[in-house]
Amino acid sequence: MGMREPSIVENILITTKVEKVLNWSRATSVWPLSFGLACCAIEMMAAGAARFDFDRFGSGIFRASPRQADLMIVAGTVSYKMAPVIKQLYDQMPEPKWVMALGSCATCGGPFDSYHAVQGVDKIIPVDVYVPGCPPRPEALIYGFMKLQDKIMNSSLADRYREVFEPVE
Amino acid sequence: MSNEKPVQPEVDQEIDLALEKALGAPQAPPAPYVYDYKTSPNRQVVMPKTVPLSGLNAYLAEKAALEAAEEAKWQKAQADYAAAKAKAEAEGAPEPKAPVRVQPKKEPDLTVPVPSEAKDPDLLRLMALLGDGVEEAFEQSGELTCQVARERLLETLKLCREDAALKYEMLADETATHFPAAKDFAFSVVYHLTSISRSKRLRLRILIPEGFEPQSAVQVYAGANWLEREIFDMFGIRFQNHPDMTRILCPEDWEAHPLRKEYPVVGWGQRDVDFREDRSGMLNRIALEKAGQLGINLKRPKAE
Repeated sequence: MGMREPSIVENILITTKVEKVLNWSRATSVWPLSFGLACCAIEMMAAGAARFDFDRFGSGIFRASPRQADLMIVAGTVSYKMAPVIKQLYDQMPEPKWVMALGSCATCGGPFDSYHAVQGVDKIIPVDVYVPGCPPRPEALIYGFMKLQDKIMNSSLADRYREVFEPVE
Repeated sequence: MSNEKPVQPEVDQEIDLALEKALGAPQAPPAPYVYDYKTSPNRQVVMPKTVPLSGLNAYLAEKAALEAAEEAKWQKAQADYAAAKAKAEAEGAPEPKAPVRVQPKKEPDLTVPVPSEAKDPDLLRLMALLGDGVEEAFEQSGELTCQVARERLLETLKLCREDAALKYEMLADETATHFPAAKDFAFSVVYHLTSISRSKRLRLRILIPEGFEPQSAVQVYAGANWLEREIFDMFGIRFQNHPDMTRILCPEDWEAHPLRKEYPVVGWGQRDVDFREDRSGMLNRIALEKAGQLGINLKRPKAE
């Protein structure tokens, strides 16, 4: 009385949900926008270089155009003058898209409680993952990125339309 | 930057109209934005009371005032002693103790070097060439400073650049300082000149009141272009005959000039503007809820 041996068909076929496959493919090929604002960008470059090798997670392809990117890593101080540019870049990225706020400045303004600094990039665009630190180490960026992967894996296609359609009872 | 709203879909416009009808027109926040200083006293602007502008005349005046105060103190002590002595003699009491003049302590070697008379040949030449155009010239810790009349600035810069004995080829920096406590001027504009061939540096300074427009240095030193734009951006000093007198650091529509002393560090609220549009549908959802409470049915499926 043991477990049933898998049949030949079950050996070659995997049953899953379309949503799960979509999420898996999205989470393992997140292409970030090459976009740095301050010293946090140096850490982002280190994360992308050979020692930390961001590419292990399928996200090493930093795109030079927002139209080819899925993830915007806001690495650095967001000045008031830069804010509309960031928003325009975000709007140019195709759906689905995600945003990481890297470092204290991007999350809350950091040490710059001053007239020129926007107090957190979430005043401009919605942020998925906040990575604290001044600047955060590449490990922190990678950890934040893995959290983003978790979020993508747990996301649902229905989320976007939940607000628009009434639930079926 | 233009704060134009994106074109909203029909549904949103309907919601807006219905909400406006039900709740009244949305009210704009008061402008310019003012912080609640009672809850955050650190954001208050504290205006300086002194004029920390270095100079030989100011230093000599300060020194003379200190000496006069010391002298007055000594005279008063002596007068008091004489009065007390006369009183004691009349009463037959023992004689009071005579006052001792306190000798000033010898200053340690680590004090800040004080300004001294101009002895450098460059300063002497400038004084000879400009005459009464030079308001003040002094040396301090080996640095040469020459304060010239604000109307004769351009002439001075041309001299500094072209005179064979001066030959200051480069304008290393140009900047300004705000002195709100000063009576007869508001700003000092400082020109740091460098002579590469002679390895010398010279500081030119003009004092200008509020609203005065100094001559631009661009026609003598082309590198002054962006420096003067920065001064205009930060202090609001306009330069005459400048090719492009616009802001360089702040956005074009920025209000006020941030490096003036009356400007609060946290600004006038420009940075608190919310650029974020209703991407997550949160505002839409709130509007729907409010409409539902008011008995308005606005909900309909929306295809992307």
